[in-house]
Amino acid sequence: MPNSLIPALDPAPLPGPPWLFQVLWVLTFFIHIVFVNTVLGGTLLAALAGLAGEGRRETRTLFVEVNSWAISLAITFGIAPLLFIQVVLGRFFYTATILVAWAWLGMLVLLTVAYYLNYVAKFRLRAGKGAGAVVAVEAACFLAIAAIQVTVNLLHLQPGRWAVVADHVWAALSDRTFAPRYLHFVFAAVAMAGALAAWVAVRRAAHGGDAGACRAMARFGIRAALVATLLQLADGFWLLLALPEEVLRSFMRAGAATMAPLGVGVMAGVLLLVVLAGISDPLAQSTRVRRVAELVVVAMAVMVVTRHQLRDFYLAAARAGEQVTVAPQLGPLALFLGVFVLCIGLTIWVLVRAAKDRPAPGERAA
Amino acid sequence: MVRFSQRLITVGKGDGVDYPIWNLAMGGGVLIGIVAITHVIVSHFAVGGGFAIAVIETLAVRRGNPAWRALAKRSSLMLILVSTVFGAISGVGIWVTIGLVQPAATSALIHNYVWGWAAEWGFFILEVVTALLYYATWDKVRPRTHLVIIWLYAFAAYMSLVIIQGILSFMLTPGRWLETHSFWDGIFNPSYLPGIVLRTGICLFLAGAYLTLAALREHDRLARAPMVRLLAWFQVAGILLAYGGYRWWEHVLPESVRAIFLGGKALLPALAATRHLALWALAAYLLVALFAALAPRSHMWPTAVAAMLAACVFFGAYERLREGARKPFVIRDFMFSNGILVSDIGKLDEHGVLATAVWAARGSAASQEAMGRAVFRAECAACHTIDGYLSIRKLVAPVDPDMLNGILGTLREEGKEYARGTYTHQGHVATDKLDYPLMPPLVGTAAEQEALAVYLLTLQPSHIAEASHAQ
Ligand code: HEC
Repeated sequence: MPNSLIPALDPAPLPGPPWLFQVLWVLTFFIHIVFVNTVLGGTLLAALAGLAGEGRRETRTLFVEVNSWAISLAITFGIAPLLFIQVVLGRFFYTATILVAWAWLGMLVLLTVAYYLNYVAKFRLRAGKGAGAVVAVEAACFLAIAAIQVTVNLLHLQPGRWAVVADHVWAALSDRTFAPRYLHFVFAAVAMAGALAAWVAVRRAAHGGDAGACRAMARFGIRAALVATLLQLADGFWLLLALPEEVLRSFMRAGAATMAPLGVGVMAGVLLLVVLAGISDPLAQSTRVRRVAELVVVAMAVMVVTRHQLRDFYLAAARAGEQVTVAPQLGPLALFLGVFVLCIGLTIWVLVRAAKDRPAPGERAA
Repeated sequence: MVRFSQRLITVGKGDGVDYPIWNLAMGGGVLIGIVAITHVIVSHFAVGGGFAIAVIETLAVRRGNPAWRALAKRSSLMLILVSTVFGAISGVGIWVTIGLVQPAATSALIHNYVWGWAAEWGFFILEVVTALLYYATWDKVRPRTHLVIIWLYAFAAYMSLVIIQGILSFMLTPGRWLETHSFWDGIFNPSYLPGIVLRTGICLFLAGAYLTLAALREHDRLARAPMVRLLAWFQVAGILLAYGGYRWWEHVLPESVRAIFLGGKALLPALAATRHLALWALAAYLLVALFAALAPRSHMWPTAVAAMLAACVFFGAYERLREGARKPFVIRDFMFSNGILVSDIGKLDEHGVLATAVWAARGSAASQEAMGRAVFRAECAACHTIDGYLSIRKLVAPVDPDMLNGILGTLREEGKEYARGTYTHQGHVATDKLDYPLMPPLVGTAAEQEALAVYLLTLQPSHIAEASHAQ
C-alpha cells in the first residue's frame, strides 16, 4: 500500500481559487526557467568556450557578466513557484524534499559557492586574467543543482517510490525518466544560451564591435544551439517513451489540450533545427539569428505547460478524492495584485530611466 | 469567518505528524536557528544599509562632497553582495529548512499567508533589480536618477520587512486570529507594531555600525570625522528605537509567555540569561555609539568593531528569545512544535497518534519497543535528539521506571487539560500553569504511552550495559 504514506491534505482552506494558483505557478515558473537556462546554459558555454578558438574570451566574459545579475533573478523568480507548489501540492513536495533532505539543503551551499565563484571569475576576467577553471567548477555546481531539482520533482510526482527511497536514499536517482528528463533541461539551457550569445554578438557587431570576435562568438553560439537541439529532439522522444505507461496513456488521451502544446513544442524544435542549419554567416543573417532566439523561447513556454500537465497525470491517482476547500482571501489577493503591478511598473520605469538618462557633455555623472 | 475555525477542527485528518522525520544530530530547531539568524542579520542590514546609503548619497549630491560620494560607492558593492546574493539565498534557505524540519507548520503558514508572501515577493523583485542597477550605474547616469534608484531600493526593502514582520510576530502572538482565522487579524497581531519599531531600530544601527567600518577606510581625517559622527547618530537613534520597541514588545506579550523568560522565577533560566545578555549588550552599545557621536576622531577600529559585535549580540539574543518564548508551540496556542494541532488532541487520544503518523509508524508493529520508538519520532523528535541537542538519553538516564511513568502520565494528563480548556482563556493557554510548560502534551492511547516508556528505558545506560552483558 504505497499510498498510505501520503500525508493528509492540509485542513486549512485554499486562500484563492485553484486555477489562479495554477496560472500564477506556471507563469512564474516560466520566467524562473528562462533565467535558470540563461545561467545554466551560459555557464556551461562559458566553460566550453575553451573549445572555440577565437572569441573565447568574449563568450566567457559575456556569460560571467550576465550571470552576475541573472543568478539573482533566477533565485528571485524561483521564490514564487516555490510558494505556489507548497500551496497546491505541499504534502507531496515536503515529503519528497525531506526524503532527500541533505541534497535539498546542499543545493543552497552549491548555489552560494557558484555565485561567489562567478564574482571571482568576473573580477579575474576584468583584471585580464584567465578564469577557465573557476567557470568549470561553477558550471559543475549548477549541473548538480539541476540534478537535485529533477530528483525532487520526480520524487514528489511518484509517492509509490517513497518507501524505497526512505530506506535507500540513492534510489531517488533510479527512475527510468531521470536521465532523459535531466538531459532535456540541460539541452534546452544550452540551446537558449547559444541563441543568446549569437544574438548579442550580432547586435554588438551592428554597433561597431570587433567583427572577428563577434563572428566567432556568434558561430560558437549557433553551433552550440544546433548540437543541443539535435540531441534534444532525440532525447525528447526518449523521455516520452520512458514515461510510465499510464501517464503516457492519459497524456495521449487528453486530446488537443495536451497534444497541442507538445505538438507546437516539437514543431518549434524541428523549425529551430532548420533555421540553425541555414545559418552560415550569422553576422550577415541577423533576422535568422533573432528567429532562433524566438523559437527557443516559444519551445520553452509550451514545454513548461506540458511539464505541468504531466504532473497532473502522474499525481492523478494519488490525488483522487482530494477534497480541497476554498475560502478566497479577497483583500490579501488584491493587496498582492496591487503590489505586484506597482513593483513591476516601478521596476520597468526605473530600468528605462536608467537606460535613457545619460549626462550631457560637461555635466556631472552620479 | 468564524466558520473557518470550525472547519479547521473537523475537516480532514491533517494532524501534522504524518510527514517523514529528518533525523538531524544537531536537532532541526538548531539548524533553523542558524539559518534564520544569518538571514535576519543579513536582511536587516540590507534594509538599513539601503536607507543609510540613500541618505549619504543625497547629502553628497546636495553638498557636492566627493568623500561622501566615495563612501556611498564603496558601500554599495557590499550592499548588493549581501542583499541580492546572500540575502536571497539565505531567504530561500529559510523556506528550505522550515519545510524540511517543520513541514506541517510551513504548510499551515503558507495556506494563511501566501498572498502576504507573494506581495513581499513583488517588493523583493524591485529590491533586487534596484540594488543591481544602483551598483551598475555609478558614473553612468545623472545624480538625480541614481538617487531615485537607491530611494526606491530603500522603500522596497523596508516594505518587505513591514510584511514579513506580520507573519513572524503572528507565530508568537496570533491574537484574534485564533478565533477569526482572518489574514488581517493574523498580520496585525498584538506584537506586530512593537516588532516593527524594534526591527526598524535594528536596521538603522546595523547599517550605522557597518558603514562606520567602511568610513574608517577614508584616509582624509577631516572628511572622516563628520561621516563617523553622522553614522554614530544613526546608531544612537537605532538603539533608542530598538530599546523602546523591545520594552513595548515585552509589554504586549501574554503573561504566560513572559513568564518563560522574565522575572525571578523564569521557567527557562537560559532564556532569562539571554534576555539579560540582550539588554546589557544594548546598553554597552549605546555607550559606544554616544562616544562615537561625541568624539568621532577617537572612534577607530577597536571601538567600531565592538559596536558591530554589540549590535549582533543584541539582535541574535532577541531572536533567540523570540523563538524560545514560543515553546512548546510553532504557532502559539494553535500548533505544537511537533506539528500536532491543539484542536486534534482529543481525536489523537482516542485513535492513537500512530494511526495518522504514517511515516513515524513505519515498522512499528514489530515490537513494543519499535512502537515506542515510533511514538518518540512522531511526538518528541521535533525537540529531543537521542544523543545530541536536548539528548533524551541524558534526560532519562537518572529516572527509574516509576518516575518515567509519572512524567509521561503527567504529560498525557496535560493533553486532557488542553483539550478541556482548563487553562485556556480566549484561546490563549496559560502554559505557565502546567507542570511541563515547555513541552507539548503526550497524546495518543494508553498503549502508546506504555510503549514509549518501554522504548525510553532501553536508552538508559544500565539497560545497554545489561544488553551487552547478556551477549
Ligand atoms: C517543544 C519541544 C519539546 C518536545 C516536542 C518534547 N520535549 Fe521533552 N523537554 C523539552 C524541554 C525544553 C525540556 C527541559 C529540558 C531541561 O530542563 O533541561 C524537556 C524535558 C524532558 C524530560 C525531562 C523532564 C524532567 O522532569 O526532568 C523528559 C523525560 C522529556 N522531556 C521527554 C519528552 C518526551 C517523551 C517527549 C515526547 C512525548 C518530549 N519530551 C517532547 C522540550 C520538548
